[in-house]
Amino acid sequence: MDKKRILLIDDDPDQRLALRLPLESAGFEVQEAINSSDALARINEIDPDLIILDVMMDTTTAGFQVALELHSPDPASEFKQFRNTPIIMLTAIHSTTPLRFAPDADYLPVETFIEKPVDPETLLKKVHELLNGQ
Amino acid sequence: MELHSPPGNRSAPPETAFDGQERSLVEAELVSSVAWLIRLRWIAGAGVILATWLARTFFPLTFPAAPLYSIGAVILAYNLVFFLVERGLTKSMAPTRRYTRLAKWQVGLDWLAMALLIHFSGGIESPLLLFFIFHIIIASIFFTPSIAFAYALLAILLVSGITLLEYFGAVPHVTIEGFLRQPLYSNTLYTGTALAAFASTGLISAYLATTIHERLRKREEDVVRLSRRLQRATSRLQALNEGARTVGSTLELAQVLNRLVKSTAEAMGVRACSIRLLDKTGRRLEPVAVYGLSQAYLEKGPVDAVVNPLAREVLSGKVVNIPDISSSHLLQYPQDARQEGIRSMISAPLIGKDGPLGILRAYAVEPNRFNSEDEEFLRAIAAQGSIAIENAMAYQAVAELDAAKSNFIRIVTHELRSPVSVTQSLLRTLTAGYAGAITAPQKDILQRATRRVEFLQKLIDDLLDLAAGKTDIKAFEEMESVSLMICFERVVKRFELTAQEKSLTLEMKSDCPQRYPVVMATTEGIDRILDNLISNAIKYTPAGGKVVVSIVCVDDEVQISVEDTGIGIPEESLSHIFEEFYRAPNAREIEHEGTGLGLTIVKDLVTRFGGRVAVESKPAAGSRFTVTLPLAVVDESERRLT
Repeated sequence: MDKKRILLIDDDPDQRLALRLPLESAGFEVQEAINSSDALARINEIDPDLIILDVMMDTTTAGFQVALELHSPDPASEFKQFRNTPIIMLTAIHSTTPLRFAPDADYLPVETFIEKPVDPETLLKKVHELLNGQ
Repeated sequence: MELHSPPGNRSAPPETAFDGQERSLVEAELVSSVAWLIRLRWIAGAGVILATWLARTFFPLTFPAAPLYSIGAVILAYNLVFFLVERGLTKSMAPTRRYTRLAKWQVGLDWLAMALLIHFSGGIESPLLLFFIFHIIIASIFFTPSIAFAYALLAILLVSGITLLEYFGAVPHVTIEGFLRQPLYSNTLYTGTALAAFASTGLISAYLATTIHERLRKREEDVVRLSRRLQRATSRLQALNEGARTVGSTLELAQVLNRLVKSTAEAMGVRACSIRLLDKTGRRLEPVAVYGLSQAYLEKGPVDAVVNPLAREVLSGKVVNIPDISSSHLLQYPQDARQEGIRSMISAPLIGKDGPLGILRAYAVEPNRFNSEDEEFLRAIAAQGSIAIENAMAYQAVAELDAAKSNFIRIVTHELRSPVSVTQSLLRTLTAGYAGAITAPQKDILQRATRRVEFLQKLIDDLLDLAAGKTDIKAFEEMESVSLMICFERVVKRFELTAQEKSLTLEMKSDCPQRYPVVMATTEGIDRILDNLISNAIKYTPAGGKVVVSIVCVDDEVQISVEDTGIGIPEESLSHIFEEFYRAPNAREIEHEGTGLGLTIVKDLVTRFGGRVAVESKPAAGSRFTVTLPLAVVDESERRLT
């Protein structure tokens, strides 16, 4: 069985490192994107099985924009092949602000949230859950 | 015909307390005199008839009685007309000038009746000659001195006319037989002397009566004026007091200003009032509160404190009264003021501790509206208002400073949070061995570093919470009905394990008539309050102790208390316990790390939810924190949903 590929979208290189190490040692292939546009430009080429996305990048809601693009129900969407690719969103515990920008409390365009600072065990558990459930 | 005008109509401004509906004292006097004169005339008319009859019946006098009876009857007849007219006037509350006209008619007809009476009772020989003196006195009561003298002269002319006409035989003389041994009307010496005596008596009477009456009238006017001034002073004092109370009852600058203009306009009884305050440049005077002026007038143009001559004068500390805007060189926009219907204005400086703050101005629709009393009054209001304005400004400045501080903290902590969070993630990854195996001493160091960074994280989060509470007002606008029981169960459950590990009893009690007490708050806020209080209680209570969390409803309030059997808070620390970063010394001993922000956050949240928090504690015995919140009014349908 091929290694599962994870796309890590975060503008903080240290945060990417902190996430990449446990994921790699758990046997995943990790690709990194340094911001929203970088991610969207290269996602077709990377073709990830799971996406880990930081909410706050260039703007406080950049992560949401990316998630909305990828999970768009529009059949003509450029990214329609990722409509069902699970997304884990990284949030800060005390920043409820970005959540308020969610289009609808019942419809968040992501599968799950992980709070920062990231606990590697929790991260791996969620990743496994999402990939095995697919 | 010129009559005595009521006091105040000549130069003093119109009195708002005494409008056209009400008669002045002098006017009232004229009205009652007209009625009095009519009453007197009944007696006079009847008197003429009675005297004629008596003279003919009981005295050996012979004279033509018919004309005298007729005159008496005519007097009674025209008096009946006057009586009816007067009644009509009284019933219809007629204006005073109609009473004046009636008085004029009365005096005119009386003069004629007197002249005829004198002619038919013997001309210059008539004993009734002296009656004219009464009439002269009556006229001086009614009219101004010049008119009274004119009437006196008219009486003298009438009597002289009759005398001369009889003397020269142009009119037949009426002789009263048995009165004089020989007629005197043709005696030049007698006639001359009698006429001169009558003329001088008439003039002297007029002079005395008018002088005395004028003096009385003056005094009366003074009394009226004084009583009005007193009344005005009383109402102003009341207004001032009222104004001070309402102005002082708030620290909100906009409210202070609005109340000040409104109460000033009302107290002075004028159309409008405005306040302009110097802006931060100290040059422009911006309208900040206005009462009774149009928006267009306010936007007439900039008022420059350096260029505008009126502003310059007022800001130098003077009260400036402009009696007529059309003749003042001080106004920058006289045309706009005229269009607004303003004719006079008065301005007083608002002066703070460090210099002028602005201008308080009252506007009137009449010219010459303001006098020196008004100047003093406005100065007093402005002085009082300045204090209120400065207090409100100081309060506002403090609130702004607090918000600025909180905003600064918010920005700084936001910037701090990201690196701290990443550091934590990195340390965890490293500690868990994902970057390669680590030795036991390395692990120990990493764990120490992690603990310190975790504390830093907590501090940042607490600060952010505190700052958000003070800056992010929006979050608190989203207050909703929060069911306390649901929050309680959730938070207490969270602590059950910790309490168990420390062998503490964690108890929950509730004593409320309603099953689900509801408060207006935010769920996160209530959670945070309970979380901070319960975690403190558990943290500072030794093993084997007890923590009791209870909800008690009292009237329309709910008391949430968290009581422990812990180390307690020293007496000297109690008053500081809610201060930012404060930690009691015995708390520091037990728990090295602590942000000292937990209780500050509790207090901040409770205050925002309209409640209060209290603490009582005995060292080594325990503490109790009580949060009191107003119960939300929830209708039954909603309650069932919760």
